[in-house]
Amino acid sequence: MYYREIRYSRTKGAVMGKVKVKIIDTEQEWIVEISAPTSIKDILEKIGLSPEEYIVSKNGEVVPEDEEVSDGDTIILYPVVSGG
Amino acid sequence: MVNCSFCGRRAVYVSRALGKAYCKKHFLEYFDKKVRRTIRKYKMFSEKETIIVAVSGGKDSLALLHYLVKLSKRVPGWTIKALLIDEGIKGYREIAIQDFLRVVRELGVEYRIVRFKDEFGYTLDEIIEIGRRKGLPYHPCSYCGVFRRYLLNKAAREMGGTVLATAHNLDDVIQTYLMNIIKNSWEKIVRLGPVSGVAGHPRFVRKVKPFYEILEKESALYAVLNNLYPKFVECPYAQQSMRWYLRKYINKLEEMYPGTKYSMLRSLLRIISLLEDKADKILEGEIRSCRICGEPASHELCRACTYRLELGIMDEQGNIITNKLESK
Ligand SMILES: [Zn+2]
Ligand SMILES: [Zn+2]
Repeated sequence: MYYREIRYSRTKGAVMGKVKVKIIDTEQEWIVEISAPTSIKDILEKIGLSPEEYIVSKNGEVVPEDEEVSDGDTIILYPVVSGG
Repeated sequence: MVNCSFCGRRAVYVSRALGKAYCKKHFLEYFDKKVRRTIRKYKMFSEKETIIVAVSGGKDSLALLHYLVKLSKRVPGWTIKALLIDEGIKGYREIAIQDFLRVVRELGVEYRIVRFKDEFGYTLDEIIEIGRRKGLPYHPCSYCGVFRRYLLNKAAREMGGTVLATAHNLDDVIQTYLMNIIKNSWEKIVRLGPVSGVAGHPRFVRKVKPFYEILEKESALYAVLNNLYPKFVECPYAQQSMRWYLRKYINKLEEMYPGTKYSMLRSLLRIISLLEDKADKILEGEIRSCRICGEPASHELCRACTYRLELGIMDEQGNIITNKLESK
């Protein structure tokens, strides 16, 4: 049912680093290239996900989506939209 | 790093609607205060209750069970029991049951599992297939909703429950509100309050929603912070339902206009209080007993029996008709 999806996304300007984004328990995964300090919210918007719909953990710690990311960070998303 | 508005430690949550950031400790405090306020404000529980918690194995209901078990340690007159309805959705339900069992065992809570297959003779998957072959016009979620509610009420009563607590959160409630506006179903909107009206029927168990003012995101975060977050599997029938689209739109609105969800809840509470004055015009008469099964019904038959007759999986005497799928 789930597919492996590694998408690359880049902002304008020189690449400053790469951030990995994964949705927990699925095969959905993205590598996002960033060129300036970026918040998790911006990254989610860039890959078409709504920050309202996920709890975010950065390198194993739960953080608000306003948190900034830097090179090498891993973001795990916990969907809040599953029922019951 | 985002800092907690109360103690300056690393934040785990930001409420844009309230303009505050919370660390783990202060988030859990905020969550607890909010739920206790809801329980008090709507007089959900008295000092002595057998509270049956409807648990699906999803994060919201695991969070509710965990929360109420912890709260019950401070209230000697409360007994908490968990109830899971196994509708039989292949590839989904088996996984959610594992998370359910893990949590009830950790919490040491008495529980019961009630299966569609045992009660109706068929799993939800089979019921949907029968409905499809018969050309019945119902969405999978309609069968599921009607049969689940039916069994929750029946099993909660059989377990000695004085009240049934469900994990419906603010997001669920306002989605249902919008759906019923679209469908012009005001009689359903009147019943969308935090406590279901005291229906004068001996088989009716009172229903309460302690997470009525909790956002879906907050209950998910509570689950993550307490190691309750279950293995993520989405119900295969959930997509493409009207609810699924509404949820997307409401989330988009909340992002653009923080506070939209709280505002919609206030709108709902206001309309319920206005509609209650006209209850006789909106509700379909008194609550009766279903002619076949005796459970509460608003017509001669309850919804569950109506569906079962339409599907041809039960006869007029209430007996299960088996092998409906083999004889095409
Ligand atoms: Zn704090
Ligand atoms: Zn009936």
